[in-house]
Amino acid sequence: MLFNSFGFGIFLIVVFVLYWFVFNRKLQQQNLLLMTASYFFYACWDWRFLFLLIFSTLLDYFTGLKMFQAKTQGLKTFWLWLSISINLGFLGVFKYYNFFASSLAALGADFGIHLSPFTLNVILPVGISFYTFHGLSYVIDVYKNRIKAERNFIDYSLFVSFFPLLVAGPIERATHLLPQVKTQRKFDYQEAINGLRQILWGLFKKAVIADQCADYANMIFANSSHFSGSTLVLGAVFFAFQIYCDFSGYSDMALGIAKLFGFELLRNFAFPYFSRDMAEFWRRWHISLSSWFRDYLYIPLGGSKTGTWLKVRNTLIIFLVSGFWHGANWTFIIWGLLNALFILPSILLKTNRNHLEIVAKGKTMPTPVEFIQMSLTFLQVIFAWIFFRADSVTQAFKYIGRIFSRSLFSIPQLDVNRAQLLEVIILIICFIIVEWHGRENQYAIEKLTWLRRRGYRLTFYYTLVVVIFLFTGKEQQFIYFQF
Amino acid sequence: MHRFLIKTILFALMSFVLILAVALIPGYMVNKFSKFSIKKNSTIALFGHSHSECAYNDTLIANFTNLSHSAESYFYTFQKVKKYLVQNPQVKTVLIEFSNNQIDNKMDDWTWGYTYMSNMFPQYASFMSFADMELLAKHNSKYFMNCIGIAARTNLIKALSFNYDYTGKTGGYFKIDSSKHLPAGNPVNENARTSPNKNRISTTNLQYLRKIVDYCNNMHKHVFLIRSPQHPLYEFRNNEAEFSLIRERYFGDVKFLDFNNFPIKNDEFADFGHLNFKGALKYSTYINQRIINGMLNTGNTASIDQAANKAAN
Repeated sequence: MLFNSFGFGIFLIVVFVLYWFVFNRKLQQQNLLLMTASYFFYACWDWRFLFLLIFSTLLDYFTGLKMFQAKTQGLKTFWLWLSISINLGFLGVFKYYNFFASSLAALGADFGIHLSPFTLNVILPVGISFYTFHGLSYVIDVYKNRIKAERNFIDYSLFVSFFPLLVAGPIERATHLLPQVKTQRKFDYQEAINGLRQILWGLFKKAVIADQCADYANMIFANSSHFSGSTLVLGAVFFAFQIYCDFSGYSDMALGIAKLFGFELLRNFAFPYFSRDMAEFWRRWHISLSSWFRDYLYIPLGGSKTGTWLKVRNTLIIFLVSGFWHGANWTFIIWGLLNALFILPSILLKTNRNHLEIVAKGKTMPTPVEFIQMSLTFLQVIFAWIFFRADSVTQAFKYIGRIFSRSLFSIPQLDVNRAQLLEVIILIICFIIVEWHGRENQYAIEKLTWLRRRGYRLTFYYTLVVVIFLFTGKEQQFIYFQF
Repeated sequence: MHRFLIKTILFALMSFVLILAVALIPGYMVNKFSKFSIKKNSTIALFGHSHSECAYNDTLIANFTNLSHSAESYFYTFQKVKKYLVQNPQVKTVLIEFSNNQIDNKMDDWTWGYTYMSNMFPQYASFMSFADMELLAKHNSKYFMNCIGIAARTNLIKALSFNYDYTGKTGGYFKIDSSKHLPAGNPVNENARTSPNKNRISTTNLQYLRKIVDYCNNMHKHVFLIRSPQHPLYEFRNNEAEFSLIRERYFGDVKFLDFNNFPIKNDEFADFGHLNFKGALKYSTYINQRIINGMLNTGNTASIDQAANKAAN
């Protein structure tokens, strides 16, 4: 059940009506309804993995309670590590086992040892990386006494499985979401309208920009050996917009849906392609994951308040782990490594916190220097995306090799309908303009201050609806569902 | 809450009305102003899929226009036939390719499978009846909704650019270079695909063939089913018994011009189902002669083998 499907629309309306009109008297009833709806939502993907989700929830719920009740620090630590081991164990089996088995066999082959690895024929449970990290953040926070262990199973279960964030985040923190779960929600007209607006924008990003770009990116990456360097650059740019609009579109829809039920989820994207350096990019891209790694890995390792070499080590570790989190493939690990190498100079030179404010705040246009900084950062980002998108490291290197050839300076050639390609390029340009104008908001069309009259704003929203209708093609799976 | 509900419902209703307008108004304009013209001296029109698309070089056949399009099921051909016959009264004779794979249920995929539907539906959506749309929606409701959007976009662009001309965009002779051909020896290994399932027939495709025939009859056109040459090893030829049975039972009233066994050499086939340029040259020259000799007046194909062998030599 994709957010941009008709089935989900019906599901959302039914849950909304039940939530505000039938079960609106008692908080526990509302939470129970949302929990049941979330389990139903998850079961629609594959009901068998519902048991895994419930087991994971029960595990963290009980270990949280045990840690809270533990009389000695040793016992508390024992329960923490039990939870971490089992959580990561599940993640390892379902997501990484085959990767390690085949990598070991390949390594053995290099040394002349023939190994026939036993691989598992299992599909990756959707959202496992996300709800595992939810659970881990909870047990670690309980261990660190940041929050009390949750006694109400329904409340805890809702925190883990709340359907807007269940399959692709944002990765919530118990300290942020659990208090909201336990507080009576009141319907807020402004927030609900804001939520609908954010859903509309997310849907536009996903159904129009991401899915249109996906067609071209897929075609170019699948036949990369036949295209010129300039066309391959175009393919990487299409992928950059595809992945941004796909994932941030999903996040916008998730945040918007949560607002309809009175929840405020963590922001996941803050206009990352307007960043002036890589450090700023990583403060604006997949914020809930970056901050998770910062809080639960980077800072415990010593963070940046250590010596130079430890700083380098810690940076490399979190980017490699972040790459590996995305998938069991060397392409993701190299993507992580590349990003670490891009960001390290600014950490070592202590310039990584130079750009904390949004670019050109209060101004219409960036300065030439800012424009160059943004362009260079974007180039670094799309260079790294090539590894992220490629099917293998070999393909990525060949792709890059073909980019840096004489054909880089030729006119891109694509055997497609030119009018349709032009439409997509115009849409991307319009999208960039709207994002630029709205960059000081939580999401681009939150306030639409550049459209002063209400009539203009309404026209804009109706235009979005019509464009979504006109450009919605085959529903493409959200990229981050595979993680 | 009430304010929210009223505003949301109003917005949804207004959006719905706008979407309807965007979908229907350009569609109506395309239907009204679309132009499907063929040469004034063309009295024979051929419709079909890739077999006929590659077999009939219409520059070699007098008064003949090839309007075949690859991967086109009869469902979409029907929409096309209606427009061409109404706008081109000079067409007196309609030939419809009818070969073995057109009874197979893979034609269903050609009708409502996403890839085919998303290509063909936007082109012909404006000319379809409600029943036609209902058929697609019934079999592939999920992607039909997506294709509605694609069709609306296609029509909107046509309407905004005042480009209603379908001429040359709905099919025609497709030349396959003579350098692409089957090996001279036994090409049996060339065919890696599995044989079709004999028991699976596309009833929808056959129903629409019937509709095409009936429509042509109502328009007082001479209708012929025609089968262009297929290689003896062509995978779909093993449904010959079902093919003959269906033809006799459901299309017994339509004359059948069968050139299935027209002698074509391996180097004249691009693959088992399609002629290359060399094959099309030979076959089209032969067909031209047969038409001049009155084949379409008599519908007589009895002497085909003799004449074909003569042409082959």
